Amino acid sequence: MSVTINVSNENSTATIKIDGRFDFSLHNDFRKSYKDVNLENGEYTIDLGSTGYLDSSALGMLLLLKEHAESQSATVRLVNFNDEIKEILSIASFDKLFTLG
Amino acid sequence: MKNNQHQPKTILIVDDDLTNRLVLRALLKEAGYQSVEAENGELAIEAVDKHHIDIILLDVMMPVMDGYQAAKIIKGRNKGFIPIIFLTAMTDEAALAKCIEAGGDDFLTKPYNHILLNSKIDSMLRIAGLYQNIESKSKAIEEHNLQMLQEMNVTKKLFKKIISNDLRGDDTGLHYSMSPMTMFNGDLILAEKNQTSGLDILVGDFTGHGLSAAIGAIPMSDIFHSMTQKCFSFTEVLTEANSKLIDLLPTQMFMAAGLISIDRSNNVVSIVNAGIPDIYLYRNNEIVRTFKSKNIPLGISKITSQQIEVEMIPLEYGDRLYVATDGVMEATNKNGDMFGLDRLLKTFEDNSQGSELFDSILSNCAAFCEGADQTDDITLLELCHLENVHYGDDKEFKHEHCNPSNWSMQFSLDIKSLRQFDALPFIMQAVNQLQPLESGRTSLHTILTEMFANALDHGVLKLDSSMKSTPQGYMEFYQEKQKRLESLDEGDIEIIMSHELNEDGNGGRLTLVIIDSGEGFDYEQPETNKNDYSGRGLKLVSSLCTEVQFLGKGNSIMAYYDWDSDS
Repeated sequence: MSVTINVSNENSTATIKIDGRFDFSLHNDFRKSYKDVNLENGEYTIDLGSTGYLDSSALGMLLLLKEHAESQSATVRLVNFNDEIKEILSIASFDKLFTLG
Repeated sequence: MKNNQHQPKTILIVDDDLTNRLVLRALLKEAGYQSVEAENGELAIEAVDKHHIDIILLDVMMPVMDGYQAAKIIKGRNKGFIPIIFLTAMTDEAALAKCIEAGGDDFLTKPYNHILLNSKIDSMLRIAGLYQNIESKSKAIEEHNLQMLQEMNVTKKLFKKIISNDLRGDDTGLHYSMSPMTMFNGDLILAEKNQTSGLDILVGDFTGHGLSAAIGAIPMSDIFHSMTQKCFSFTEVLTEANSKLIDLLPTQMFMAAGLISIDRSNNVVSIVNAGIPDIYLYRNNEIVRTFKSKNIPLGISKITSQQIEVEMIPLEYGDRLYVATDGVMEATNKNGDMFGLDRLLKTFEDNSQGSELFDSILSNCAAFCEGADQTDDITLLELCHLENVHYGDDKEFKHEHCNPSNWSMQFSLDIKSLRQFDALPFIMQAVNQLQPLESGRTSLHTILTEMFANALDHGVLKLDSSMKSTPQGYMEFYQEKQKRLESLDEGDIEIIMSHELNEDGNGGRLTLVIIDSGEGFDYEQPETNKNDYSGRGLKLVSSLCTEVQFLGKGNSIMAYYDWDSDS
């Protein structure tokens, strides 16, 4: 399990990649990854391509990132998720809160 | 020189030979230790009781009680770790092994080498230090655990009180399974009778673990019970609960919720699914409808009651509704496999007896998880729509200091008021304050609600109740209602209520008149016509009231409700 972040040179986009299970154990790593990043009017992309599972505390962590992004007028996009994760996101109606795909 | 602690360590010297004791005393003093002396094993035990001893230097052969026996007794007392170094002239291995066996930690052979003695004492003190460190930490943990356990017990009791409003039973059709530990996993079930004598039920699932989840459950339960009792609609309840949870919970915490509201006057269920797994409607041995989540869980972002997506469907007697939190689907067996949706649906399919379904789901899930660590977070709810329900004794409000009296009041609601807020809870509250009905609070709610809905839907908004004859029509009816309410420029409803005490003072007659701005109808026409207009709601009103009559051009309705304090 790991969290990696890549910030573009112009500070307009940042991609956070989650490997393995996205659950409470990543709480600190996830938060640390973006806490010093400032993307004024930019976009955070969460790459869930290597994420096997996502639980409700991960949904909570995404809400924290959203709060962080909104304070910079930035947006959050979730990409590359598998069908199971898509189902979890749709049960929580997260398509109303985040850009999906 | 060696002892660098602030408090000099105290060493107990046990030897029957005075010379030996004097030598050791001198050696220890030079090394910076305090010493206490005893001449035999028995006196050594006394000394351990009397003084704080850090290390014991123990001779083996002594009168009264030898070193082996003394060591066994001292170590057996379990008064913390006191290292024992045996002092012995013996050098054979068996004798030395016996020292360790008796509870000694080390031994030193005579004659003493003072460097060796000091090193052994140092090493033993270090071990004793480690031991004390561990002991004090484990004591702190133990105390902490005990405190947590106590807090959990208090919370558990609090929780029990909160959810004690238990409406479960074969008489009510409500069954659910929830382990006590589930509360601390953040699952919550609340149920309250609504004004149609049906139930409003909320199944909640907080994110997060332990007590933090419990924090949200308390205001949630408060809002749910008090607002439902005051006749607020479930959408108002959810809106209020949502904004409370936004204020209260940290960003990453929220509550997924399912709400079921049974309207018994019209036999319709309204369902709001906000982030929980599918809710099922089971009829004639199959799932006939699945209610998927269409709303964001509560506590994330502000919503108005109009933004809540509600699904409505007419119910038949014998229909069963099932709600499960993700604990059921995620129940895991010892291979790490989850029970999952397929197994749940198969349980529905395999079952031919509706009344056994609830138990079957639980037992299948338990059988699947057999042998695995019990996760204990399975919450399953079943609500059967019964023709007759009985909720046990009504707990009505008692206003002991308020005596019945004669009064009257009048409300006029223009189109703006009708559009903006639900006036009924406020009217109902005013009636409760003025007129503490000993019984019949629920009936009065029903009468008011139905008469008001009739005036609004058919009088002011001119909606056709025949729309409601199909499931599809039901949704359309309510969508159309919302549309007309928002676009209409004029229309009003007047509510006049008066109360007159009986001559004996033990009861009275409440007169309700509701006048709407609609066109009315010819109420003297044959029955069929009247039924079309009034629908099932007004039939219910007639059954609860002594008398109901239409007045004027049919846009006014008057009802008498008689009560007495004995019933």
